[in-house]
Amino acid sequence: MAFHNRDRKDFNAGIMFIAIGAFFAIFSQNYPMGSAVRMGPAYFPSVLGALLVVLGLIVFGRSFFLVDREQPTKTHWRPLLCILGAASLFGFLIGPAGLVIASAVMMLVGAFGGWDFRWKEQIPLAAGMTAVTIGIFHYGLGLPFKLFPWSY
Amino acid sequence: MTELIQHLTLGFTVALSFQNLIYCFIGVLLGTLIGVLPGIGPVATIAMLLPITFNLPPTPALIMLAGIYYGASYGGSTTAILVNLPGESSSVVTCIDGYQMGKQGRAGPALAIAAIGSFFAGTVGTILIALFGPPLAELAFEFGAAEYFSMMVLGLIAAVVLASGSLIKAIGMILVGLLAGLVGTDVNSGIARYSFGVSELSDGIGFVSVAMGMFGFGEIIANLGQTSETKHVEVSKVHSLMPSPRDVKMSIGPILRATVIGTIFGILPGSHTVIAAFSSYTMEKKLAKNPERFGKGAIEGVAGPEAANNAAAQTCFIPLLTLGIPTGAVMALMVGAMTIQGIAPGPQVMTQKPDLFWGMIASMWIGNGMLVLLNLPLIGMWVQFLKIPYRLLFPGILLFIAIGAYSLNNSHFEVYVAALFGYFGYYSSKWGCEPAPLILGFVLGQLMEENLRRAMLISRGDPSVFFTRPISLGMLLVAFALLLMVIAPQVRKKRAEVLTAPAD
Repeated sequence: MAFHNRDRKDFNAGIMFIAIGAFFAIFSQNYPMGSAVRMGPAYFPSVLGALLVVLGLIVFGRSFFLVDREQPTKTHWRPLLCILGAASLFGFLIGPAGLVIASAVMMLVGAFGGWDFRWKEQIPLAAGMTAVTIGIFHYGLGLPFKLFPWSY
Repeated sequence: MTELIQHLTLGFTVALSFQNLIYCFIGVLLGTLIGVLPGIGPVATIAMLLPITFNLPPTPALIMLAGIYYGASYGGSTTAILVNLPGESSSVVTCIDGYQMGKQGRAGPALAIAAIGSFFAGTVGTILIALFGPPLAELAFEFGAAEYFSMMVLGLIAAVVLASGSLIKAIGMILVGLLAGLVGTDVNSGIARYSFGVSELSDGIGFVSVAMGMFGFGEIIANLGQTSETKHVEVSKVHSLMPSPRDVKMSIGPILRATVIGTIFGILPGSHTVIAAFSSYTMEKKLAKNPERFGKGAIEGVAGPEAANNAAAQTCFIPLLTLGIPTGAVMALMVGAMTIQGIAPGPQVMTQKPDLFWGMIASMWIGNGMLVLLNLPLIGMWVQFLKIPYRLLFPGILLFIAIGAYSLNNSHFEVYVAALFGYFGYYSSKWGCEPAPLILGFVLGQLMEENLRRAMLISRGDPSVFFTRPISLGMLLVAFALLLMVIAPQVRKKRAEVLTAPAD
């Protein structure tokens, strides 16, 4: 048993389970617990949250004792930030700027997370896909999208 | 018997209407396309394409979604045979012998046998749903809250026992899913739980956004994290599709046996088509007179697994349609789709909406037929799609996911939820926690709480109600036995062997 030689997969997963379980169990105390006969809104989440904490402790604890210690792969920051950044930008822009700008920005920012980003490829692709989605979702399916910043 | 014919007649009348045929066709076509393209699975696809179905009536919407699902398993086998890439996890097994056949210039017969085997298995699956659907639904009407609760426990346990990876972490992910599913207004008290004053959260976290985040965003990030683009793919040439009489003769047995295996695995809660395919492969290898042919292009190794995974893909609709219990991530999405359409999945679907139920079943058979007729001639086209590099593919997928999430409620909040779960999904799978159990727990969270409350209310707070009612006790015992089985050392070893091999 050595801290620096722990199984990081289980170590991290254990902490994650403990945190999530504790979060739900602790915040459920804001709601009425009720009784076993008439369960209040806090009952089920408290039980599940406590169970999750116990499981988390087991996973966390065993990370120091496992025989084949596994290490997780490195975090791939570039795709992670670009993809989720693109998604957040889309969410941020779709209201004020409309679908056209939000789509194009999302495609370009997202594409930047891939290998081998080439403007020559990605700009026509973004333009084309934006046109296609507007064709499908706005005109084809009639979903209510605001297209441009100036439209309603 | 006459009832069965009546039901099927109704089903075919519905399924053969022009509109439904078109949507069935679109569904299987899109499904095949997705199955062919590696790097995006059926869960993300169905989630992504859900908005397309919003403006449709329920029947064509569900017909199309089901078509996407079984179409994907067809498409996956095409790429498995031609380029040794399983487009979808259930065709991992097909790669082994299918690709070898392709290398020997026998890609055509391999594809044809895969298609025929799948079609046969699909037909049997459809008939079985029609036969066993009504009695199972009858039985489900007898279920009280205690039975439903125990059944969900069994379903969740079975799902993780057969899932790959660590059992304890899978149970943890179920609990996370169940808890996340509880966010939002509590039906009994009207209290908005864990909403922290955010009005969007008081309606609960959108299930579809969670699925899109974990399976869509999460998978794309993981794919891009791999060092480089897949190398230039070498596509086997398809000379002639006709299998020789010897091929056909050798495939009949495996197809028949695999149909049985696939059916069983499909109905069992939580099973995966992958396991069905793998079991069939192992079985054929054991039964073969000269097992050393396996891995070197044995046609039984294509016929069996393909039939098995298709049979399982059909019959896994049985628990969903009759009991309202999803058995996997895809079925959980179907629950989401039904809810969006205003249908509560469960035994009442069959009695209250017979046209939907039987129409969907008939359409599955028609869709399977379409796949055979369409895909064999279209193979050349699918191969072209395979050549699209991923760097040109994923930005479009991203956009579709974002639009899909947004259009669920016309709210940008859902896009943020998807992004957040993408982040969570990326890290949790890095730490060996699979996303599928979470999705399953998420769908069942409120339902489970509801039934637990009701059962305890009726029993006046006596928890023994779960152990004194025979059906409930039976289900809990099976769940317990499953857990014990996994903990047993021999099974544990075997499970690791089977499950590490088809890791996708």
